[in-house]
Amino acid sequence: MQMAKNIMSRKLYTIDPLTGVGRAAAIMERCGIGCLPVVDEGKLVGIITSRDIKKSHPNRLVADAMTKEVITVPPTVSIWEAKKLMEEYKIERLVVVDEKNIVGIITKAQIIAELSRYIDSLTGLNKAEVFYERARQLLKKGHEIAVIFLDIDNFGLINKEYGHVYGDSVLRRIAAILDRLIDKKRDILCRYAGDEFAVVSTRSLKDAERFALQVVTAFANEKWPDGIKVSVSAGVAGGRRSGLRNLNEDSSYIVKNLINLASLASTKAKKLKKPVVVVDAVEFKEMVSMQ
Amino acid sequence: MLSKGTSPPTEPLRKADMTIKLSEFEIPPMQDIMLVGKKAPIGPEAVRQMVDAVSPDQYEIVHLNSHEVFEAVVIKKSLLKLLPKEKLLSVVIEEGGRIANESMVVKAQINLTIRVNRVVDL
Repeated sequence: MQMAKNIMSRKLYTIDPLTGVGRAAAIMERCGIGCLPVVDEGKLVGIITSRDIKKSHPNRLVADAMTKEVITVPPTVSIWEAKKLMEEYKIERLVVVDEKNIVGIITKAQIIAELSRYIDSLTGLNKAEVFYERARQLLKKGHEIAVIFLDIDNFGLINKEYGHVYGDSVLRRIAAILDRLIDKKRDILCRYAGDEFAVVSTRSLKDAERFALQVVTAFANEKWPDGIKVSVSAGVAGGRRSGLRNLNEDSSYIVKNLINLASLASTKAKKLKKPVVVVDAVEFKEMVSMQ
Repeated sequence: MLSKGTSPPTEPLRKADMTIKLSEFEIPPMQDIMLVGKKAPIGPEAVRQMVDAVSPDQYEIVHLNSHEVFEAVVIKKSLLKLLPKEKLLSVVIEEGGRIANESMVVKAQINLTIRVNRVVDL
């Protein structure tokens, strides 16, 4: 999991609240930065950004121009959570605070640059890392989750018969179909690896099964180019959780476990020539304590 | 070449007129109320620093969070003994808002007369 501390700017410039706005602007221009945390007797009391400076009279004190409500994050916050906070508060920067000390600044540009590493360049879908992180976040928020693992049948044959460039175009089309089918409020889709895709969802296990069947049917009804047939085998796994103590460790374990179960179920579906195999809901309280 | 009888141009004479106006600096240099515009050259914190320096404990700063024009009001505490804050501020802000814009700091002088009629038993 990528954390704020790995990508934040550690070189810190701060300013006193009784300094003039003009001086703050000069410091920001000289240092090529877009904001200054405002510190009064060692305590973070605000942040002054280039946006605040544009709105204020240059004669003003920083204290009269700064944003007083500073959104801070710990160094261990994930970059996805940091991005979400920035979107929620419509801000471009977060101050990274370790207990009471400012240790860095993280900007939206830094996060977007980092997140682009987690987007699959062929399909434009999330990579598995994003999937794991988002699934963990859902669990930490108390959601029950279901994992739908989708394995394309005999995709190797398409590559062998039509070539990898053709295979890539089929993968892009598969991604587009899946992206169209998911409900973005409930489902998070990723290209898990090669010809495998996965969805983590807040749907119930029953609803996840229905969704998996919907995907299988959509593939069967799709008019694929050159009359090829593309089908998919789906495995669905979901679990109940209760009494978990260490949410960080336990949620990682649960996510990995569900993916494993769902992928095994998709293999079983392939072998049995069934469209979807669903694993019975797993009680994670017991599984975690068995570790 | 200059013609006969013509004198060379002289340098312009430069003088400065100076007027001095002396008067006593008023302590405090504030009036009864100041209305601070949202984009005024000074903000509430600057006003607070100034007021605390020249007239400690005599003024109160009231931050206005949702007013269209003003960000804060600085008010002489002694006035608040004569009239409740809410009543005084609502009138002053309304009247100030009629003449001011966001970039102004408006000072207001308030004359308050309390009239009391009492009847006592003879």
